[in-house]
This record gives sequence, C-alpha cells and structure tokens, in this order.
Amino acid sequence: MDRQYYLDLAAQGLRMPIGTDLVLHERADAQQTVVDGRRLGQVVVESARRYRTPLAMPLMDLAIEKAWLLSILGVPAEQHETYQFATPPEIDMRKLDAALASTGTPRLTATVEAVRLVARETELLPVGMSIGPFSLTTKMMLDPITPVFLAGSGLTAADEPEVALFTTQLAISEKVIHASLRRQIEAGARMIVVCEPAANTTFISPNQMADGSDVFERFIIEPNRRLRKLLNEHGVDLFLHDCGELTDEMLRRLVMLDPAVLSLGASRTLWLDAAIVPKTTVLYGNLPTKRFYSDELTPVGLIEKMTRELIGRMREVRHPFILGSECDVLSVTGAHDAISRKVRAMLDCPAS
Amino acid sequence: MADLNALKEAVIKGDRAGATKLTKELLAAGTPPKAVLDEGLVAGMAVVGARFKKNEVFVPEVLIAARAMKEAMTILEPVLVKAGIKPAHTAIIGTVQGDLHDIGKNLVAMMWKGANFGVVDLGTNVSPQRFVDAAQEHKASIVGLSSLLTTTMPAMKQAVVALRAANVTSKILIGGAPVTQAFAQEIGADGYAPDAASAVDVAKKLVTT
Repeated sequence: MDRQYYLDLAAQGLRMPIGTDLVLHERADAQQTVVDGRRLGQVVVESARRYRTPLAMPLMDLAIEKAWLLSILGVPAEQHETYQFATPPEIDMRKLDAALASTGTPRLTATVEAVRLVARETELLPVGMSIGPFSLTTKMMLDPITPVFLAGSGLTAADEPEVALFTTQLAISEKVIHASLRRQIEAGARMIVVCEPAANTTFISPNQMADGSDVFERFIIEPNRRLRKLLNEHGVDLFLHDCGELTDEMLRRLVMLDPAVLSLGASRTLWLDAAIVPKTTVLYGNLPTKRFYSDELTPVGLIEKMTRELIGRMREVRHPFILGSECDVLSVTGAHDAISRKVRAMLDCPAS
Repeated sequence: MADLNALKEAVIKGDRAGATKLTKELLAAGTPPKAVLDEGLVAGMAVVGARFKKNEVFVPEVLIAARAMKEAMTILEPVLVKAGIKPAHTAIIGTVQGDLHDIGKNLVAMMWKGANFGVVDLGTNVSPQRFVDAAQEHKASIVGLSSLLTTTMPAMKQAVVALRAANVTSKILIGGAPVTQAFAQEIGADGYAPDAASAVDVAKKLVTT
C-alpha cells in the first residue's frame, strides 16, 4: 500500500486507542463472539466507528498462534495456555506445513473471518494481527531467557541443549505465524499488527548487545525481516508493536524493519525517539493505558495533560504521529467505565 | 585453594560449573556450610541484586547468576539440612488467578532464594485458596502476589481478602507491572515492591516488623 496513507492520517491528527477489547467486553456474549467471525468482525467495525478511525484494529489476541500449533501437536485445549516445551517437539516440518495448510482453530478462523467481513462490507482498512516469532517462542518455553543469554554468549545449538530448543522453537513459531498471516492476507488484510513485546531488556541483555552480541539480530530482526518480506510480497503494511522496555540500540534495530507504523510502550519518550525513527514511519502511542483503571493514578485531567503534551512535543519535532495507547486497552472488571472515560478524554480533549 | 570470594565471583558471573566446583572444594576443605551459603552464594546474589537495582545488569544476568547459585545449592543444601541449618523465613509466591505470566514472579523467587529465604513457588494462575493453604502449611512469613495484567488485579484483591479472612498472619507483598503502592494500600496488602531487587529489601523489612 501507499505509505503516504498513514502519513496523511498522522497529518490529519488521528487519535485512536487499540480498543477492540473494551468494546468486546461490553457484550454479554463476549466469549462466544471471539469464536464467531461475523460477530467478531462487527465488534471490530463498531470499535473503529466509536474511536473514529479508518483502521479496523482487531483484538490483540497473542494466544492464537500458540493454540493453533498445540492443537496440531495434539495438546488438549485446556492445556494450551499453560503448556510449555522442555524439549524440542518431535515434529516433521513438512508435516507441520501440511497441518498448517489444512487445519485451524475456532479463534483463528474467527479472526480471519472478521478481517474478511471488514474487507467485504466496509470502507475501513482491514487490519490483521499476530504475535511476533520471538515473542511466540518465549511463550512456548519454560525458561526462554537463559537460552537467549547463552546464545548471546556465543554458545550454539550444538553446545547447549537449551539453545537448540530455542532455535528449533523459533523456526516452528515462524512457520505458524507465516501461515496465520497468509490466511489473514488472503481474507483481505491490508496491514498487519505484529506484536513483539518480548523484544526487550528482560529477554535480551543490553550488556551483551554492547559487547557485540548479534543475538537481537539473529533471534528478533532476522525472523521479522522474513515476515516483512512476506508482507511486502502481498503489498501489506507492517504495524510493529513493542510495548516492552527497549534501549535506544534495540529501537535502532527495530526501525530497520521499516514499519509503516511503530507502536511503543509508555516507557519510551516518543519525541526523543523521533530522532531515531525515520520520518517515513509513523510513531504511534503511548499513553499509559495499562493504568487507566485507577482514577488515583491516572485522573482524567492527567490524561488530558499528557495528551496535549504528547501532541505538542511531536509537533515540535515534526515527526508523523498518531496519538494512541501503549498497548491494547484491556477491559478490567469493575473499572470498565473508568477506562472508557479516559479513552474518551484522550480522543476528545483539545490538542492545545 | 578455593575461597569464598571466588565462589561469590562465580555466582556474579553466572559461572554454573565454577560455582558448583568451588562449593564442593570449600566444603571438602572444612569451610562451615553456613559460611559457604552466606559469604559465597548469598553474597554473590546480593551484588547481582544491587547491580540490577542500578540498571548495571539486567534480568538475563540475574537469571544466569541465580542458575549458578541453584546448581551450587544442590551440593550445599543436603549439608545444610544435615547441620540443621534452615532459612529463617519461608516465603510463598505465585501469580494470581487468571494470570499466566511468570517472569517477574520467578525473578522475585530467585532473588528471595538468593537472600536465603525458603521459597515455595506456587506457579501461575493461583487461586486465593491455594495461597491460603500454602501459607498455613508452610507457616510462611511472607506471601508474594504477582500480576502482570490489569485484568487480573481484582484477583490480587481476592487473594488478600482470602488470606485475611483465614487469619493468615503472613505479611503480604504485591508486585507486577500495573500495581502500585496506592493499590497495595487499597487492597490491604502490607507492602509493594516495584521490582525484584526491591522485593528483597521490602520482604526483609516486613519480616522484621
């Protein structure tokens, strides 16, 4: 797609949360909706209308691809959330390809059909979503941090079984994600949100990077570069989301993926990041929506003040910017109204 | 000959094989097991914790150091047990019901072990009743509740309510990305730790008050 589209949205002063979860949980049938493509698509459309954005943002469901893989491997559904590998799964990659081509899960199918509904029945931009390869791999393993550190120390899969496990799992994750994205693209997705929240200082040691380790490049950038290639082949844009704690060096590497939109967490100062991010990439974020549940921590007045400051500072540095949330805005039991009030405040308060 | 300082350095570096070898050598040379623990392993983890607090090292380095200590403990622990040396305090820790995130919780568990707390890790998605049962069974001095998601914060409150209702006398410490000191006060927890290194300091303070 023409990258100018997103630059224009930024220039028009678009503000939007990633807020589909909030709208979903206003429905009594939320649990049924996430496995019903038509109803889920309607929620996505309703969210875009409510938040006055042309981007039909899906649910940020980072469990879909893991559940899909585990279902292929025969792991019972009730174990999907907690299941982790201690040894590499015994799986023939060709058989995995065949299974990925012929199977699905209710949530994956609903996600794909929701994209299709947006594409066929609305003027909105259909947006797909997937967890990133590195983050999916971390969710598959009991201890994902140690093997990454060991790999960063120069140990290989041949030296250390934990590195071998991570490397194998990463390759599998990449396959599953590509298969998920192909389905969403086929359904009409024009942009894909790739969520790599695990690409951060918890999983990758900045000290190792400073010492010359290429582990961030090998485990995060290279798999995402291949994912980017897949999107490019289909003319689909990348919305890269990473709400983890990042160093400037990590950010410098992420921008090499050349996303159309880059969404960062509240730990980053976007007007400073503008010096690192090319002006062809729209910065998105990063109000502290994870704390919107508390009126004490984030009163409406503070959100309005932060909104004005963020918009003002981004104008000063002249970087394309869409004001938004630091992550998806989750509905919290007992705090839904408080969260919604602040989302409304970030959308409606005057910019200056 | 092995010395306690070398053991401390091995932990700091995360040298698993070195820490294990030095522990064996120190014990074989007649070094009191309590000294091996306090002046070698715990001292090493204390340095790592202090550096973590100052952002000089990061989670991976802490985990690697904790792994070295854990490996050395497989040698040392039976000796400590035989000598009747037990940690002064037992801590229960878990991620609250509905939340499957465990990195923060694991880190606190490791730091507590590194500070010579006995730690019972209940894992993730822990129901209020399991916290109650474990606190009573192990006569815990501290119960640590972890949560990463805003959506599971109400479960943290439910765990505190259940512990209080069961007259559990353990101090309750909460932590995790969305929680704050104000939230700790609101739900009746005794303490809040903004990060794993602080969790050691707060826990030590709570068990002495």
